[in-house]
Amino acid sequence: MSSTLARRDGLRAATMISPAYIWLTVAVFLPLAAMLFFSFLSEAPFGDREWFVTAANYMEFFEKGFYLKLLVRSLTLGLVVTGFCILIGFPCAFVLAKTIKGRWREALFLLVILPFWSNSLVRIFSWAIVLRGNGVIDSVLDLILPFEVSVNLMFSYPAIVIGLVHSYLPYVILTSYLALQAIDDNLIDAARSMGAPRRMILWRIIIPLALPGLIAGAVLIFVPVVGSFMEPRILGGRSGTFFGTVIEDQFVAVFNWPLGAALSFILLGVVLLILAVSSPVLRRAQ
Amino acid sequence: MAMGRFLERLGRVYLGVVLAFLYVPILVMAVMSFNQSEFYQLPIRFTTGWYEKLWNNSEILNAAWSSVWIACTTTVIATTLGTAAAIAFFRYEFRGKVILQALLFPPIAIPWLITGTAMLIFFFSIGLGRGAPAVIIGHVALALPYVIVVVTARLRTFDPQLEEAARSLGASSWEVTRSVTLPWIASGIIAGALFAFAVSFDQFVVSYFLAEPGDSTLPVVIYTAIRKGFTPEINAISTIIIVISMSLMLLAARYANFGGER
Amino acid sequence: MSINAKWTGCAALATLVLGMGVGAVHADEIRVLNWKGYGTDSDWAVAEFKEKTGHTVVHDYFNSEQEMLTKLRTNPGAYDVVLINSAFTGQALEEGLISPIDTSDISNFADLAPNLGGNPELNVGGKVNGVAWVWGLTSFGVNKDEVSPLPTSIQVLWDDQYTGKVGWRDDALESVQFAALATGQNINDVKDLDAVKSKLETLLPQIKTFWSSENDWNQFFAAGDFLMAPYWSGSAGRSIAKGLPVAFVVPEEGAIGWLDGLSIPATSENREAAREFINYMIDPQFYVKWAESGAPASANAKAAAALPADDFNRATLGDPAVVARVQFMQPVSDETRKTYLELWQELKANAQ
Repeated sequence: MSSTLARRDGLRAATMISPAYIWLTVAVFLPLAAMLFFSFLSEAPFGDREWFVTAANYMEFFEKGFYLKLLVRSLTLGLVVTGFCILIGFPCAFVLAKTIKGRWREALFLLVILPFWSNSLVRIFSWAIVLRGNGVIDSVLDLILPFEVSVNLMFSYPAIVIGLVHSYLPYVILTSYLALQAIDDNLIDAARSMGAPRRMILWRIIIPLALPGLIAGAVLIFVPVVGSFMEPRILGGRSGTFFGTVIEDQFVAVFNWPLGAALSFILLGVVLLILAVSSPVLRRAQ
Repeated sequence: MAMGRFLERLGRVYLGVVLAFLYVPILVMAVMSFNQSEFYQLPIRFTTGWYEKLWNNSEILNAAWSSVWIACTTTVIATTLGTAAAIAFFRYEFRGKVILQALLFPPIAIPWLITGTAMLIFFFSIGLGRGAPAVIIGHVALALPYVIVVVTARLRTFDPQLEEAARSLGASSWEVTRSVTLPWIASGIIAGALFAFAVSFDQFVVSYFLAEPGDSTLPVVIYTAIRKGFTPEINAISTIIIVISMSLMLLAARYANFGGER
Repeated sequence: MSINAKWTGCAALATLVLGMGVGAVHADEIRVLNWKGYGTDSDWAVAEFKEKTGHTVVHDYFNSEQEMLTKLRTNPGAYDVVLINSAFTGQALEEGLISPIDTSDISNFADLAPNLGGNPELNVGGKVNGVAWVWGLTSFGVNKDEVSPLPTSIQVLWDDQYTGKVGWRDDALESVQFAALATGQNINDVKDLDAVKSKLETLLPQIKTFWSSENDWNQFFAAGDFLMAPYWSGSAGRSIAKGLPVAFVVPEEGAIGWLDGLSIPATSENREAAREFINYMIDPQFYVKWAESGAPASANAKAAAALPADDFNRATLGDPAVVARVQFMQPVSDETRKTYLELWQELKANAQ
């Protein structure tokens, strides 16, 4: 009895999952598998190029110190950006989900996501106009302050962080909002009527219950930020060299797909490792 | 109680500040579309010339239209397939589930340039030509992981006993899904759809490699213009798109009750 | 939409009229692969070409030479004309991506300047694999309002006075070539790579930011982010035409010369129409009109001579003393590219 049930469940699960995964297999997994194969070759196999199987591309990562240095730099950037996004985004989601009611809430919720629909390059260039010397911030400060100031945040680490936080903030607001909204208000009211202090309600009820959303948001931010290259390049200027830009160079500046692919898979491996190590900790916290 | 009201007000102010931060570049983008200077120089000298130019620029207009319909198609397909997969992950225990879930991260983690190149090579080698179908296949694949992760996050807050209760009352699997699960996770699905739309609408690498020459999307037009640089016409079309989507969204928020079930 | 319809109407009419006059005009659609906004895709040129020949022109674009090669490799039959920098023509030919062009019906071919049309990179094996189209220099532009007198040496980029006021292009090959010029070496055969490395090491603190597009350059320059930065001659001409106070300096140490040719992919099925398009592209009439809005220098001697005397290209590149200092870029092997990239990445990473 139970085995037929299990089999029926398995069949149901398969019919629901397979469309998405077949699609992913054809369009992403197989192409990426080909890239994984390339990462073990001496040359990209085009035309009459001579190639052989080698691990040299992976060795290069360890032989050249600067790759590791840049990887650490990118991981740090990922943490900093994710941290800011959570600090700024979670309270925002809380206000939205718990203190604003009715139509206004839906309207505001949509307003949070809308900037996200504009083109990322256009957004980055707009930030450049805001941040640079004689730019928007500089001009506005000059207008309101009695003394002359010169603010030029452009081409710096903070500029990269501002641009990335802006791009990814909606992720964490969105996912936290979804989780917070699911928390029954009666639960909070009950705790409050029993005299629980605000801080305790926050740490014992709200954050644990909202954690799945918070984690999903954090992962969706951390993972792509580590490999980002557009924002660092444009906003960072001379301080915009990261692991992602080095990978991009292997495809754009030289025809070295094997090394570019190997570096990407090292990046992927490290990111997955971090997620795997942190997931039991996070699960326990839940 | 006074403290509570104060905090509530403070919260609203905070929300306002965050919204302002989110809209800074959007506003700058819009303002610059009315600025004469091609180099985005301040101070601003007002003109509507870029909009007139845009009106005659069939390349940008066609590209914007392609972007919209490709993003809509992508959103529908990715949201449907992704939601189904997320519900199955939530409802059933089976071997290999963790691996399947972990497989969602490579497309997000590996820079799109590399994924795009990989798709180009692979599609070429299996004989799938360039064109809108190839673009949509690629976009859906890149949007799917986001939909699945977001819907799954929403499902984590859902009590499985609700499904069991419905089932014990004799509801079929599909009836349970339709009348219990889907309404509960509706806001998650909508959020997933918004993500899918954003991913497709902003995706340039895949469209760049897979679109038919002469039939590109808006991000491709912007990206290829980067060497010479784009003119405020791009700001103008972006402003128009934002204004239209904002109106649509606010209308939707006015007449439909989503984003909340209460 | 209505505009498109109108154009189509005009073009159809023109085809009809021409068709009656000339006899059978065969109308094809040709596909051109080029940088965006680089001459071939000017609206007026596409319209005029269609009016003259009946052929429609559709464009696809690339953002780096590597992407251009990738697009050719993975899209056989998709393109009829492709713009290739002469330093890459040999590689494209070797990979079988392009094939020799029969120039007998390209009537303007005879007017190409002999040193450009006969460029060895474009004519490997005694056959024309690319028709020389435009050329120019990579040197640097300075803000003439802020920097005076105008520098004559490339060492100004290393001058303490301009620390933090130099722009740069984040390109390994170009960086190495600039450092080679500054250390008195041949850009195509860098013997002392260590000297280049230490020269670039001292350059990094000078740099305010990297620019990646002409628009970046103009914006950063206009906003005062940098006072001097490497630049392309064609782009400098355009910036000057737009009213920016740019002076394009060709220093005594020399500058990097490049030549862009038009080639026909081996898999093209519209070779005849492609040749007609190339012929139109090297026509003086097309060039003079293009040059009004700022263009690189034409490879066609007649086109160059037809320019007004105050034209930027004529004034800057027409000077034999300047041309004598130019080192023309030769093909760079994949291995060398990788070495340069690694050197450049390491320098940047260590400067973080």
